[in-house]
Amino acid sequence: MTASTWKFLKIALLLVVLGSLYFLATLMQRDRHQIRETPVVLTPNCAEKLARHGLVADKHYQSPYVFQQTGQRVKTRGYTDEDIRAIQRGCNIIDDTQGEMAREPGRERWYATRFIRGNQVSCDHCHQGVGDKQDAAGNRLKGSLGLGASWVMADMYDRFTGLLLPFELRQMQCYINSSNGYKPNIADDVVRDVTAYTRFLSAALGLKIGNNYVEQGVDEIPASDTPKQGDDYVRGEALYKAKCASCHGPQGLGLVVDGRVIAPAVAGPNAWNKQSRNYFYYVSTILPGFICRNMPLGQENTLTNQECRDIGFFISNLPRPAGDLQGPLVALQQQVLMRVMPALMRLMESHRQDGAGSAVAPADRVPVAGR
Amino acid sequence: MKPPTPPPDETRLPPTPALRAWVMRWKTPIFVCVIIGFVLWAHLASGIAVFRSDVVSEPGWDNFRAHYRVDHFGEDGQFVRAVWNGYNLVFYTHRYASRFTRKVVADQVNSCAGCHTAEDLAYSFVNSDRVDPKTGKRVSFEDRVRWCYANSMDGFVPTIYDPAVRDIRLLARAVAHHLQLGEGDLKGEATP
Repeated sequence: MTASTWKFLKIALLLVVLGSLYFLATLMQRDRHQIRETPVVLTPNCAEKLARHGLVADKHYQSPYVFQQTGQRVKTRGYTDEDIRAIQRGCNIIDDTQGEMAREPGRERWYATRFIRGNQVSCDHCHQGVGDKQDAAGNRLKGSLGLGASWVMADMYDRFTGLLLPFELRQMQCYINSSNGYKPNIADDVVRDVTAYTRFLSAALGLKIGNNYVEQGVDEIPASDTPKQGDDYVRGEALYKAKCASCHGPQGLGLVVDGRVIAPAVAGPNAWNKQSRNYFYYVSTILPGFICRNMPLGQENTLTNQECRDIGFFISNLPRPAGDLQGPLVALQQQVLMRVMPALMRLMESHRQDGAGSAVAPADRVPVAGR
Repeated sequence: MKPPTPPPDETRLPPTPALRAWVMRWKTPIFVCVIIGFVLWAHLASGIAVFRSDVVSEPGWDNFRAHYRVDHFGEDGQFVRAVWNGYNLVFYTHRYASRFTRKVVADQVNSCAGCHTAEDLAYSFVNSDRVDPKTGKRVSFEDRVRWCYANSMDGFVPTIYDPAVRDIRLLARAVAHHLQLGEGDLKGEATP
C-alpha cells in the first residue's frame, strides 16, 4: 500500500467517523423533537394540580387560585400547546423523576435518571405537593420548598456557594448533591421543562418577582431555636425508630414495594450525599427544618425543634455517599461503611434482641408476650 | 603537584558585590513586600478596571438606582453590583460589552437602551421562556439577549454564563421586583 493510499484511507475513515457522529446527533435531535410534539400522559398528581390551576391553551391565562385568594381576575400571558406540553413534562419530572408511572420511562422523562445515581430519588420527595404543597384551605405551607417561590427568588446571592445562583444552576445542584448524581447541561430539556413548570406555578400562585414567600426554601432551625440540650445521637436514634423507621426503614435505606418507592432512602447509596445541604455536618439547620415542617407525612409540625435536630443529627451519622469535594478517601470510606454497616447493624440488632430475651427470666417472658 | 589551597577567609565568602549579598540575605522579605506593594497598587492606585471589585458609576446610575430602589437589595451586595454592571451594559453597551458588539461610540444606536427601556426588559423577562412562533423553539431571556448582541448590535454571541448576559437578566429582575411583576404579566394590563 502506497503512502498516498494510506493517507487517503485515513482521511476517509475520519470523514466516516465524523459523518456517523453527525448522523447520530441528527437522530437524537429528531427523537427529542418527537418527544416535544407527543401529547403528555400526566401522572395523577400532575393531572389534578394542573387542572386545579386551570392550565389550558389560550391567549391569556387567568389563575383560579389568585381569583380565589384575592377576588381579582388577573390576565397574564397565555400558553400555547407547546408551552403546555413543556409544563406538563416538567410536572411529570418533578412528580415521577424515575419514570415509575410512565409507559416509556426514559423518553417521557427526558432520561432524567442519567443524572441520578440510585433508583429512589424523585424531586417530589423534598418538593412535596409537586412543588406546591398546600393545606386543605389552599394555604401554602411554610418551609415546604415551594418551586414557584424558588423561581421568583432565584438569582439572589447564595450563601452556600457564594454565587448569584440562577434557577437552572440550583437544579443542577439538586442533581449533583441531593440526587448524588451528575450535572445536566443548562439547556437540557430536563432542566428547561422543570423551569417551565416552575414558572407556571409562580404565575398560578400569583407570586411576584423578588418577593420572599413563606413556602420558599426551608424554615431553618438553628441550635439557638432549641433549649440548647445539644444535638444528641442517642435521642435521635430513639426518635427515628419511633417516628421515621416504619416508613424509611430501620437503617434509613427506604421502602420500595413492587418497584415503587413508598418512602425514599435517607441513608445509604440511594440517599443524598455528604455535599448536599441536607447533610447535617455541612448545614446543620436545613434538614431539621425540613423534618419539622414536612415530616412525618400527615403529622407535620408535631415534632419539637430539638427533636428535629436530634433526628437530623442521627440520620446524618448514617453512612451515605461522599460528595465531589470530599475526595477519594472519604468516598472509599463511605462505600465500605455502606456495605458493612447494614449487615453489622442487623447482627447487633439480633444480638440485642437475643440478649434482651435471655436477660429476662423465663417466668417473666410469658406475660410479656401475652400483654 | 597539588595546587595551593586558598586561605580560609576566601573560601567562606564568594567574591560577589555587596548588593548581591544583601539581596540574597533579604530576598524573602523583598518578595513579600513586592507582592503586597503590587496588590495595594493594583487595588488602590492603578485605576485598571480588572483589578477593581467595584463597578464604575456611569452617568444616570444614581438616578436609576434611586428610581428603581435598587438599594432594597442592599447598598453594596453582589446582586447590586451585578445590577449596576447590568445598567452599564444596557446603557453603555459599546463600552462595557465591546467584545460582543461592533458598535462604537460614533454609531447612532450603540447600546441596548437605544431600543429598550429598563421596564421593557423587565416585562420581557417575565414573559420569556415561551415558544417563539417564528422559530418554533422555546426562547429564554438569555437567548433573546444573545440574539440582540449578534443581530441588533451587529456583534458576537456571548455564552449563556457570561456576565454580559447574566447581569442584564439581574437588572431585569431588579426592575421587575420594583414594578412588582409576576410571571406572564403584560404591559398595560392591571396587576393586583
